[in-house]
Amino acid sequence: MRNSRDMTIVPLPATIIGRKALSADTTLYRLALESSEEDGFDFNPGQFVQLSVPSGGEVPISLAGPPRHQNSFELCIRRVGHVTDMLYQLLPPNRVGIRGPFGNGFPFSEWAGRNILLIAGGLGIAPLRSLLYALLMQRGEFGEITFMYGAREPSAILFKEELAELSGRKDMHLFVTVDFTKEESPGGLTCNTGLLPTLLRGVNFSTTDTVAAVCGPPALYKCLLEELQDLGIPAAHIYLSLERRMKCGVGLCCHCAVGDLFCCSDGPVFRYSQLKGISGAI
Amino acid sequence: MARNLLKRDSISFFLEILATFGKLHGPILTDDGVLAFRPLGSGNDLLLEYSRTLVPPKKYLLPPRDAVLFFAPDEWYHQLAAAVPETILVGLHPCDLQGIAYLDKVFLGDRIDPLYRARRTALTLIGLSCEPDENCFCGDLSATETHGCDLFMHQSPGGFNLKDNTPKGTAILDRLTPILAEGKSLPAVSRTCDMAAAIQLASVRSETHGESALWDEFAERCLSCGACSLCCPTCYCFDIREYGALDGESTVRLREWDNCLFKDHGEVAGGFNFRKSRQERFQYRYRHKYLGFGPTRGIASCVGCGRCRAVCPVGIDLLELFKERQDEKQP
Repeated sequence: MRNSRDMTIVPLPATIIGRKALSADTTLYRLALESSEEDGFDFNPGQFVQLSVPSGGEVPISLAGPPRHQNSFELCIRRVGHVTDMLYQLLPPNRVGIRGPFGNGFPFSEWAGRNILLIAGGLGIAPLRSLLYALLMQRGEFGEITFMYGAREPSAILFKEELAELSGRKDMHLFVTVDFTKEESPGGLTCNTGLLPTLLRGVNFSTTDTVAAVCGPPALYKCLLEELQDLGIPAAHIYLSLERRMKCGVGLCCHCAVGDLFCCSDGPVFRYSQLKGISGAI
Repeated sequence: MARNLLKRDSISFFLEILATFGKLHGPILTDDGVLAFRPLGSGNDLLLEYSRTLVPPKKYLLPPRDAVLFFAPDEWYHQLAAAVPETILVGLHPCDLQGIAYLDKVFLGDRIDPLYRARRTALTLIGLSCEPDENCFCGDLSATETHGCDLFMHQSPGGFNLKDNTPKGTAILDRLTPILAEGKSLPAVSRTCDMAAAIQLASVRSETHGESALWDEFAERCLSCGACSLCCPTCYCFDIREYGALDGESTVRLREWDNCLFKDHGEVAGGFNFRKSRQERFQYRYRHKYLGFGPTRGIASCVGCGRCRAVCPVGIDLLELFKERQDEKQP
């Protein structure tokens, strides 16, 4: 960003240009930086921004949309605290503040030629949606692409219409599962019932020369990581996006250390091999 | 022989001259019996022999609450250049100087924090030699008495031998010359301390003491009061909070001291806590203090000032971890 103000310290104004409810508590926002120049706001999938709601404060949020997209970017936000509560009162063309992007993101340019398995649990779909679109933008460079997504129940499935559309693509595999369901079918989307590991065991996908990217709540990592390794994906090829409450985003405030690494500046994407042996990492 | 000896009966002249460089602050004994860095003068007498202040001098660089941003609807978020008065901090022990040197590494490293830099630039540091008490364990950790201070006062039988270490210090020393006597230059004193050596070794080896039974014992007694971090010269964790004004529109964003021993330090949105137990929070503090995070990886930030041992209400002493390891080596 060419800007006289340091965007790592001072939030820049961004206009809410779109807002779409994805579930009872989760909304997709499309934002445009007012001062961005023609090359726009660029980021790497897996990076995050600090979103400010004036008088509410600031929260770290994953970038959820494709990178380099028409001078705007998307954030998928769950209403879960006082800042996001205040955000929910805002409508286009209200303004919010943006610092960033921060963190490393997924190193997907290193994955050329490999099969790719993306596994998202719940709101963990946000950074992986960004990654998936980035991969599809350069589809020819990668092997098989498999996207697995698990939600608590049918009504909690985010991006339903998009998933339905993706399920029709011939150049990727999509599998959706819900932990439990009372309904017959979640609105036109074919869906498994059971936790994400049941998908891993139940469907066919390439496990040789495969890179896995996983994002979800800690409980997901606990039950999934060993299974992935059992399937033959080495820890160095499993990438995780970790969640911490990052206050500064630049490795100063010391809230987000994982072992001796900072989630905000060394992560939030880590290889599982980096995290093994660090107690409390996952 | 050089004119560098400040005799004890010249201290008041010394302070008068120093005061021409900026507002004087130093260690005093407050009315309520606390050792504290405060503005000098009007009944606040500088102590030249003292153990340690309760709150370390980090408060001059990182105030407990610091306004980092302001917001008004027509001005958006903006920084206001803080007017920082020139301050002369006199009477800093080597451990506190080392604490400031560590904070300099963090806040003036690869990423310069503008507020910190403004305060640091306006601060002149005058060091003072000291005698360790039963809580100190600085040893070689603080052997380099200068630690970036501008002027150092080395106590000697005749008074204080002054040594300038920076251009700022030299300018002050030049002005002091008329009131100084001729003194010998003293050899640098190297203090040794087994504990300091053990800490350095643990840091080099990334020793986490993960198996030690002491963690359970500490966690059992700890009250999560956070006094150990609050009074630590190198603890700088901060929270960022925003407070709306009564006009309903403008706000101020504050950077406030935080504390890794508090339960909400490791909490994320939705309430999940990555450091729910006291033991986990202790280990987090240990790791930061002795092994370092991110760019300070491998740097032990403990300066051996002894504050945490002196203030803990339940007598927890992290040094027992290092002692335990030493005892293992010497059966």
